[in-house]
Amino acid sequence: MAGGGFDAPDSGGGLHKQKKYKKGKRIGVRIDMTPMVDVIMLLLTFFILTTTLNTPQIMQINLPKGDESDKIKVDMGDVLYIRVSETGKVYFSRGLSDGTEAAPETITFNDMKGKIEAIYASNPKLLILLKFDRKMKYNYMVDILDEINRAAIEKRYSFMKMEDADKEIVTKAGG
Amino acid sequence: MKKARSIKKPGVNIDMTPLVDVIMLLLTFFMLVATFKVESTEAIDVKLPESVVTDTTKLPEKDIMTLTLTKAGDVFLDVDNYKVKEKVFGDPFGVGLFHPDSTSKSEYETTGGNVGGKPFKRKVTILNRAQFEKALVDLRVALKNETNGKSDFRIVLKGDMETDYGIVEDLMAIFKATKNTRFALVTDVKSDSKE
Repeated sequence: MAGGGFDAPDSGGGLHKQKKYKKGKRIGVRIDMTPMVDVIMLLLTFFILTTTLNTPQIMQINLPKGDESDKIKVDMGDVLYIRVSETGKVYFSRGLSDGTEAAPETITFNDMKGKIEAIYASNPKLLILLKFDRKMKYNYMVDILDEINRAAIEKRYSFMKMEDADKEIVTKAGG
Repeated sequence: MKKARSIKKPGVNIDMTPLVDVIMLLLTFFMLVATFKVESTEAIDVKLPESVVTDTTKLPEKDIMTLTLTKAGDVFLDVDNYKVKEKVFGDPFGVGLFHPDSTSKSEYETTGGNVGGKPFKRKVTILNRAQFEKALVDLRVALKNETNGKSDFRIVLKGDMETDYGIVEDLMAIFKATKNTRFALVTDVKSDSKE
C-alpha cells in the first residue's frame, strides 16, 4: 500500500484536478482506506460473534458385544461395586471371594480417585461394576467415569442394572 | 466553494496501514476458526457435562451420528450426512425423535413442536423403540451404500447434564441389541481441575 505525499487530501472535482496536474503539481497516489477499514471491521465483528471456540472432547465407551462367548467368569474377590444413589451419593463395596460382598462404604467425590487407586494397588485384577440409579443425573455418570479414567489403573469397568436389591443396600447405607 | 478548495487545509494524516494489517490478521484468524450455525442444521441446545479426561480425544470431523439427550428425556437422532438423512427420514434436515420413557410423552409432542423451550424448525420423525433401532441400523447401511462401504458412523452421545441416567441405560441396551458397541460421550473441557 503506497503511502501518500505530503499534501492535504485533495477534494477537487474532475476539471480542477486536471488543471492542477497540468500545473505540474506533485502527484501522490492516495488511497482512502477508511471505507475498507469499515468493511473489515464489520466482517471482523461478524466472525467474532459467530465463532464458538470451545471444542468438545469425547469419552470413548465400549460395551461388551453381548455374545455368549464373551461371558467370562469373574472371581467375586476382584470385583468392586460402585453404586450411586439417586442423589449422587457414591458407595463402594468390594466383593468377597465367597460370593458375598463387604459392607458399603460412603465415598466423597474427591477421595474417589485415590480410593480406586488404592484398591487397584491391592488387587491388580480389579473389575469395577457400576450400578447407577435410573433417576440419577447423567452428569454424575460422566463425573464418575472421568474419575475412573483419571485414576492410574487398568480401565475395566462395566455397567450393570441397578436392581431392587442394590437400591436396598444403598438405602440402608444412607440413601 | 471554489475558494475553499484552493486553500490547503492543515490535515491531520493518520496512517491506517498498521491498523488495517492487524485487523486483517484478526479477520483471517476468525474466518479460519469459524464454524457456522445454520438454522436448518441447528443443533439441539444441551448443557454438556464437564470432564478432565487426560487423553485428548477430540470429536471426529465427519461421519458422526449424534444422539442428543435433552433434559425432558427425549433422544434426538441426527447424522451429519444430509443424503443419508434424506433416505432415512425423508428430509435432508430431518431428525429422529425417540422418547424411551413409555409412560410419558416427549416434550416435542406435548408442547406442539418445542425443544428445550424453543420452537424447533427441523422436520422431526417420531420413532418408537423398534423404529428407533431400525433407524440406527438404516442410517449406517445408508451411509455405507452412499460411500461404497468406505465410511461408517461414529456414535456420539450428547447428553444434557440434567438428563436421567435411565435414558442412557436404555440407550446402552439398544446399542447392545443393534451391535453398536462403541460409542462416545461428548463432554466439555473442565476448566478448573480439582487438583
